[in-house]
Amino acid sequence: MIEYLIDGPLWYFSLAVFCIGVLLQLARILFGAGKTDLSVARGSASGGAWRNVFSRFIPHHEIAPKIRLQVVAGYMFHLGLFAVLFFAAPHVIFLEEHLLGFGWTSMPHWAFIVASQFAFFGLLILWLRRMLNSVSRLISTLDDHVAAILTFVVMLTGCLALLKGFTELRLLHRFTVELFLIYFPFSCLMHTFTFIPSRAFTGAWFGRRGIDA
Amino acid sequence: MVEIFKKSTPGSAILVIAFLLLLVFLLIPQSASAAAPQQQVDFPKGVSAVNPGSDLWREVRQRDLPMQGISQVRGVESGVLINVQGDRWARFRINNPVKYAPMALLAVILILVLFYALRGKVGIEGGLSGRMVKRFTDYERVVHWVLAIVFLFLALTGLVLLLGRTLLIPLFGHHLFSLLASASKEGHNLFGPIFLVSLVMMVISFARRNIYEKGDLTWLLKGGGFIGKGHVSGGFFNMGEKSWYWLVILAGFAISISGLILVSPNFGQGRVIMEISHIVHVIGAILLIAISIGHMYMGSIGTEGSSEAMKSGYVDINWVEAHHDRWAKQIKENSEIVSAEEFARLQGRAPDSADTAAEQSQ
Repeated sequence: MIEYLIDGPLWYFSLAVFCIGVLLQLARILFGAGKTDLSVARGSASGGAWRNVFSRFIPHHEIAPKIRLQVVAGYMFHLGLFAVLFFAAPHVIFLEEHLLGFGWTSMPHWAFIVASQFAFFGLLILWLRRMLNSVSRLISTLDDHVAAILTFVVMLTGCLALLKGFTELRLLHRFTVELFLIYFPFSCLMHTFTFIPSRAFTGAWFGRRGIDA
Repeated sequence: MVEIFKKSTPGSAILVIAFLLLLVFLLIPQSASAAAPQQQVDFPKGVSAVNPGSDLWREVRQRDLPMQGISQVRGVESGVLINVQGDRWARFRINNPVKYAPMALLAVILILVLFYALRGKVGIEGGLSGRMVKRFTDYERVVHWVLAIVFLFLALTGLVLLLGRTLLIPLFGHHLFSLLASASKEGHNLFGPIFLVSLVMMVISFARRNIYEKGDLTWLLKGGGFIGKGHVSGGFFNMGEKSWYWLVILAGFAISISGLILVSPNFGQGRVIMEISHIVHVIGAILLIAISIGHMYMGSIGTEGSSEAMKSGYVDINWVEAHHDRWAKQIKENSEIVSAEEFARLQGRAPDSADTAAEQSQ
């Protein structure tokens, strides 16, 4: 019964919530009514947008020494998670068989393990830093903590089920993934999709005013 | 039939008769044996039915010659038919670590409970003042907690793997235990290297301040203040903390290296090295778990004011004077003390009235 629920209705429900939720949120952001900028353009908005999208991958040299830990841990976590999500063999097979109908070359097992270790280590450092630094702790919301813990739990259940010997472990992982998908559109996890438009918007705003930032 | 014989040629009649004779010749012995009574086969008494191969294997196992033979198979120990050491290792594992590890851990917990019941929380003379001193940076606390969380996860999963057969199967049954063991094994192997990296970060962050110095021996001779009366002198870290630190580093590296040997069996290490690594891994882990229980006790309910060091990074000046007087002297010289209000502001909260009152009474 539980197996049927997790593999069937709950999976489709969570997938629908994720897809519809993300699309609605993106539409709300992109097509939301904004004030028309009537000022005379002093620079290129599109140039500023492109510049900002890429320049923000590297921290500004003035603050870089103070946020070195977050930058390194941030890259470790995000790159590790990206590699695990899209290039781990079980995920590639799952996407091919259940969603896309086509697959691609997956990582070797050792690379998968290393990538997941990077992701775990990075996320742990980021969340602990958020908890231990008084300023970060104050500006963090419940959503930040829930998102971090949920992501960690999803990764953990996936790794615990690596041996593929037990249906219960696979179901536990899939269930946490479903919770993650349902939570995703209504949380800070949306930054997966919004960080590029957000940077572009800020960059365009600066670029149009001739601000070199 | 008679008509056929009448019409047939003499040659063909001979052939038919020959065929019939052949048929009779073939069938008579079969029918005779079927009709005969079943005979009991009398095997000679006293013949042993033991597997003749056992003598060969006994010779392989107990011979005086070197255990390594010659084989066309290329690989580590591919010429060894029976690894006698493996039996000794298995017996040692079952009779020692599996047997004594739960006892050791329970004994430590019991000692701490008794100690707390008899001595209670180790207080600070004059209580907490509310005036704080920065002890650890954010980075140092992150390193500490990463190591602590990963260690706890590894300890838990490791104990499931070590003691699960004897302790968990009677409780959960075979299926649930095998599920738990499978998950523990995967999690343990995955988080092991993270522990090693955290350990290296721990060395880089804390090693310099944990080098033994003059005065540390006095701390040891007075049992960290538990023997005799009077104050025990200590620097930024006292000798107990330094010893704990070096134990974590040494045992941690021993566990990590032996763990890497165990988790990567394809790098040419033989079974003997694997068995030794396993023993080192288990003994080191049990030792570290046992002492870390003491560390957790001292850092939380055991000593007044200690937990704040790894929570906010600050400690009370009275706590510093009680446990680290040499460091307290440096702090006062450098005017590094923060008021209760300032500390509350740094932590992003309103000043606690109790803290302020305590500070004003100083």
